[in-house]
Amino acid sequence: MTNKAIVIGGSAGSFKIVMKIISLLPKKIDIPIFICLHRLRSARKGFAETLQINSSIKIIEPTDKEIIESNNIYIAPANYHMYILQNGRIGLSIEEELNHSRPSIDLTFITAAEYYKENLLGIILSGANDDGADGFKKIKRNNGKTIAQDPQECEVSVMPLSCIKNNSTDKILTIKEIIKEIQFFISFNI
Amino acid sequence: MDIHDEEIKEFIEIFASLSTYNFSDYSEKSFRRRMEKIVNDNNCSLSDIIKKAKNNTTFLEKIVRDITVNTTELFRDPKVWLEIQKEIIPKLKELDTINLWHAGCSSGQELYSMLMFMNENGLLEKTRTIGTDINTEILEEAAKGNYKYRFNVEYLPNFDQVLNVIQEKEKIPYSKYMDIDQSKDSIKIKPFLLNKAEFLKHDLVKDKNVFGRKFDFIICRNVLIYFNNNLQNKIFDMFWDNLNEGGFLVIGLHESIMGSTSAKFIKKGQCYIKKSANG
Repeated sequence: MTNKAIVIGGSAGSFKIVMKIISLLPKKIDIPIFICLHRLRSARKGFAETLQINSSIKIIEPTDKEIIESNNIYIAPANYHMYILQNGRIGLSIEEELNHSRPSIDLTFITAAEYYKENLLGIILSGANDDGADGFKKIKRNNGKTIAQDPQECEVSVMPLSCIKNNSTDKILTIKEIIKEIQFFISFNI
Repeated sequence: MDIHDEEIKEFIEIFASLSTYNFSDYSEKSFRRRMEKIVNDNNCSLSDIIKKAKNNTTFLEKIVRDITVNTTELFRDPKVWLEIQKEIIPKLKELDTINLWHAGCSSGQELYSMLMFMNENGLLEKTRTIGTDINTEILEEAAKGNYKYRFNVEYLPNFDQVLNVIQEKEKIPYSKYMDIDQSKDSIKIKPFLLNKAEFLKHDLVKDKNVFGRKFDFIICRNVLIYFNNNLQNKIFDMFWDNLNEGGFLVIGLHESIMGSTSAKFIKKGQCYIKKSANG
């Protein structure tokens, strides 16, 4: 089995899009998906539970050093950075915010790129700052694939725009197209 | 800009040879980020840091402090406190003295929250509390119990979500435990709580029990996440050794005991209870 994965980043406003993406996934995905969304500090609970309503895939706010399993969706817990460790586990930390955010999308993207290398698909959705742009660069440097949501379709376009501006985006797609790409990536055996 | 793995390895080796600090079992990704932060803050390369630390103990200690992450909150995660109330407090009420160890207590907000919590349960008198951290400067801060209002105000609601939920008598005001002065940007813990806390330097990586006593309750939240699996397991074993039979361990909301050590505890929500040595 190949060791591939998808990482998705966005800000709180992307929650609905993520919910839609998850609801349209096949029942068995055979790869892990990591989701890192900026969120309000006050809203610490309910994220995973809400997403779970529309999905038969297990949606998890991981525990530190949890072993990554291939049929799970992992959501960065509120107030924690989420790292992918080289031993196939998830690391959490409450270090300083990065790009005014904890979780920081860059930290999840960068460490996922280091582990999954060319077998990683990165997706950046609507969002309000440039968190994720450095992560996208790292994914590209490690020969992974990157997709930015079409800025014209975004509620707030700063995030995808900063990934497009630094030349780290392979494709600019609408949500409808992104969902197709995800389904293709999942079913396609490298 | 990028720090090479070799540089980090060298940093760890040199620091281990120059001092008692051993970072070799720290979790790789967060440790790398600490290194990046130190390099940025000092505006030089990691090799420069290593050179400077070789000749300057004060500088070395400062770097060690910068590596440690200091985060603590008043009544962090109220839900966990309500579990402690349900699972742990009734058992502590049966004891003559309660030995409490707050490992990695940082600036002490959570430790003082625990003392307030004990007081509301009528247990403060018989509680002996030790707070430890690797960072002596932060321990001095903890001993003073004088915090910036602006950095802590967002956690005050947690006080109500715990202390004004576990009891339904009249509402407990903040002023029972803290002197809050917004104009001076200060939250001061009352002396009767400060007097109940003892602070000691302790490095979880290498120090075992240096206290000459066992504990009924160990709290260590969001500290072990900076260590790798191996070291985590060793420390969980060390905690187990230092707990009285039936004693309690509470860790972070997103932490758990993995590996063989988990069989030596019974888990109830966020609370771990020590089983006896023979099961």
